[in-house]
Amino acid sequence: MQEEKFEEKEKIEIVQRFPSWKEILKPSTEMKKGFYSYAATLRDQEYLNLPFPREWSPLDEDWKLPENWKEILINKIDELRKKYRSFQVFMDICVRCGACADKCHYYIGTGDPKNMPVIRGELLRTIYRRYFTKTGKLFGEWAGARELTEDVIKEWYLYFYQCSECRRCSVFCPYGIDTAEITMLARELLNAIGISQRFSLISAAACVRTGNHLGLSPGGVVNSIRYAVDDIKEITGIDVEVPVNKKGAEILFVTPSGDYFAQPHWFTFIGYIMVFHELGLDYTFSTYAAEGGNFGFFHSFEVAKKINQKIYKEAKRLGVKWILGGECGHMWRVKHQYMATYADETYEDALKVLEEPVNPITGTVFENASSTKMVHILEFLADVLKHKKLKIDKSRNDHLVVTHHDSCNIARGMGLYEEPRFVIKSVCNHYYDMPDHAIREKSYCCGSGAGLLADELMELRMRGGMPRAMAVKYVHEKYGVNHLTAACAIDRAAFPTLLKFWRLPVQMGGITELVANAMIMKGEKERDTDLRGNPLGEYLEVEI
Amino acid sequence: MSVLGTIVGVVIPYIAGFIFVVGVIYRIFFWSRSVVPFKIPTTCGQQKSLPWLRRTWMDRFDSPYTNWETAVRMLMEVFLFRSLWKNVRYELPAQTAVSTKWLWLFALTFHWSLLIVLIRHFRFFLEPVPDFVNIIQNLDGFLEVHIGWLWFQLHVVHIMITGLTLLVALLYLLYRRLFMPRERSLSLPSDYVALILLLCVVITGLLMRYVISVDVAQVKELAQGLLSFHPPASPDLHWLFMLHLLFVSVLLAYFPFSKLMHSAGIFFSPTRNMPNNNRAVRHINPWNYPVKGVDWDEFYEEFKEDMEELEQMGYVVKPEEEV
Repeated sequence: MQEEKFEEKEKIEIVQRFPSWKEILKPSTEMKKGFYSYAATLRDQEYLNLPFPREWSPLDEDWKLPENWKEILINKIDELRKKYRSFQVFMDICVRCGACADKCHYYIGTGDPKNMPVIRGELLRTIYRRYFTKTGKLFGEWAGARELTEDVIKEWYLYFYQCSECRRCSVFCPYGIDTAEITMLARELLNAIGISQRFSLISAAACVRTGNHLGLSPGGVVNSIRYAVDDIKEITGIDVEVPVNKKGAEILFVTPSGDYFAQPHWFTFIGYIMVFHELGLDYTFSTYAAEGGNFGFFHSFEVAKKINQKIYKEAKRLGVKWILGGECGHMWRVKHQYMATYADETYEDALKVLEEPVNPITGTVFENASSTKMVHILEFLADVLKHKKLKIDKSRNDHLVVTHHDSCNIARGMGLYEEPRFVIKSVCNHYYDMPDHAIREKSYCCGSGAGLLADELMELRMRGGMPRAMAVKYVHEKYGVNHLTAACAIDRAAFPTLLKFWRLPVQMGGITELVANAMIMKGEKERDTDLRGNPLGEYLEVEI
Repeated sequence: MSVLGTIVGVVIPYIAGFIFVVGVIYRIFFWSRSVVPFKIPTTCGQQKSLPWLRRTWMDRFDSPYTNWETAVRMLMEVFLFRSLWKNVRYELPAQTAVSTKWLWLFALTFHWSLLIVLIRHFRFFLEPVPDFVNIIQNLDGFLEVHIGWLWFQLHVVHIMITGLTLLVALLYLLYRRLFMPRERSLSLPSDYVALILLLCVVITGLLMRYVISVDVAQVKELAQGLLSFHPPASPDLHWLFMLHLLFVSVLLAYFPFSKLMHSAGIFFSPTRNMPNNNRAVRHINPWNYPVKGVDWDEFYEEFKEDMEELEQMGYVVKPEEEV
């Protein structure tokens, strides 16, 4: 008999467990299907020059750790606490008030106490106390300290790859302790002894080599764009030309590579191209910097930096004035909070050509991006729509009742809340927000961020997406919402599965798609469908 | 009593005070020594972008752009527990979240009461007693006359509100850890140590105020002696006061080694004390080092055929000609 796939289950149970503190100190190492990630392939480890490359599996008894792994790890903790004040302070000041405990979508969906953000932090804090604090050395487990064993490593691998670095817990923490930061550093520690996750490394390695996570060759990128212009011609009857690697363009456009062919990213992708064409923007795609996202960010500082440098290098080579970024989540956490800091001389070098971003259509100066020179597409579109530079027929989106999912990274790592709402309301007549506890800074993660989009984590993803799905269900039942937007490529990949699993007749897509839907292009033919081929006018019944 | 009096009244407080001061300074020094590589504020409100976009006053503090906005955010965090105020509780099986402010209420009550009680204690250390201490004392004792008068006409009871709220808040905080399943799971013994020590201090203090009177003049003499480094040779005070002092000393000595350091740590938290102006003001990572990636030439070499084809296309992708 074939095993039932988790996605097809009719019923799941959430069992909350409340073990004693002593129980919690013991490592949980059970590698349950649906909750543990596969190990990185040898090929990717070698390609990225990671320490101690080898074939291994989380299911093995022996993880073939390097001989002096304990020493390496303790030295690394010491190094990181000096390099990251966040780490040192977050290790020291948590009072375990429990405000964060039920804020994690994985905790809500699994009931596993080790998914409480505070306990996730304790996984590392217990080791820190044992080796770096006096009380921990003196009183052992009574001071909440424990020995570093291989089981602890297994537990770290299991649980630090059950965190999507969404930062929701850090909103509620009275000291701003950010579990995403702890997870990032824990993954850095695991990397130091040769433990990495397959999914994020496949994408990261592909990105280093080909310039995008999907591993598309430059020809592949060009082909995708060709399909896009063909599609646009079919829908609107207009010949659109797309510059690629064009030197001297004013703007370099960078988008997450999922947009090049995945569904429903595709409609956002052709949306960008339609809008740029209609505005007559002087822009270019790049095959070298074909990726906005950065899966290295989910792994380690060095891999993240390897990927990050391409955009400034390409900006310099092409001689563009500024950079426009597509709809993506973690991409924007990196572009907003890390990009210019990661870059060293590549940034100084790029400054020779880059200028403070000015919207050529409206003349607006993007002062908030004056140093990084990178503008979010929704900031750009909000500006364009505010100045009425596009001809919009809102009724073209009347078949949709829309709600918006604030993607974790652009919400809590950037503060982009009003731009998407302004853009959506400018092009749609029917917009409803989800309940307060599920939007803006309190937004729930889709459950698949930070390298957890892997298929082997399906059960974790569907459970972790439950709070978000319930919020969608609420607006679906109350207002008849049938379209969910999110400005994030991971969301666009994760939500179709999630909404189907929770039996919600709601489709999902990016925001630029809606803009392109409503936009009347010069010389377009009569349109009776949206970009997806759905008939305009009548309310869209989405099939589950 | 005199040897014991010297030990508990002079020696232990000095040792504890020393550990406290040096320990706290050391920890703070240690924190400042580790560097801040990235600017990582948690942005809980609308960023500053286009000038006409709706950005409320609260947005400006939850997602500060300037230094003064960041300062206000910190002040709200320290004095009003802004983040705890946002607390919601996820309800299963209803699968929705409701706002809950109990933790905020009792945590805020505890900390403010503690602060006011500490300020009231200044009158033991300072002579003459500063005006603000007297004012706070009077405000705090606002209820004393009425209750005392109603309760016992001859015996005026001085009810200090903060002393009682301090006790109530501490009991609630202990109750959470003991009887709420989730909180019990995540509590470590050290969490109880801190609470119980504080309770011991508070209960002995309250006993002195309401049940067993202690000679205040003597207490003041000892306190001022300790502060001026001219302690009485062998203080002989009431046992209850000595017990109070002992608990305070233990708490002080325990402070730098414990989670109580959060009181200083919050000021060092990079997700709260940095402005969200990342793209306008570049942050420099002091230990940044170059990492080699694939540069354009290598990339071109590897995908030469593709790149040449693109060159022939004139770097433009067009729709296919209709046949």
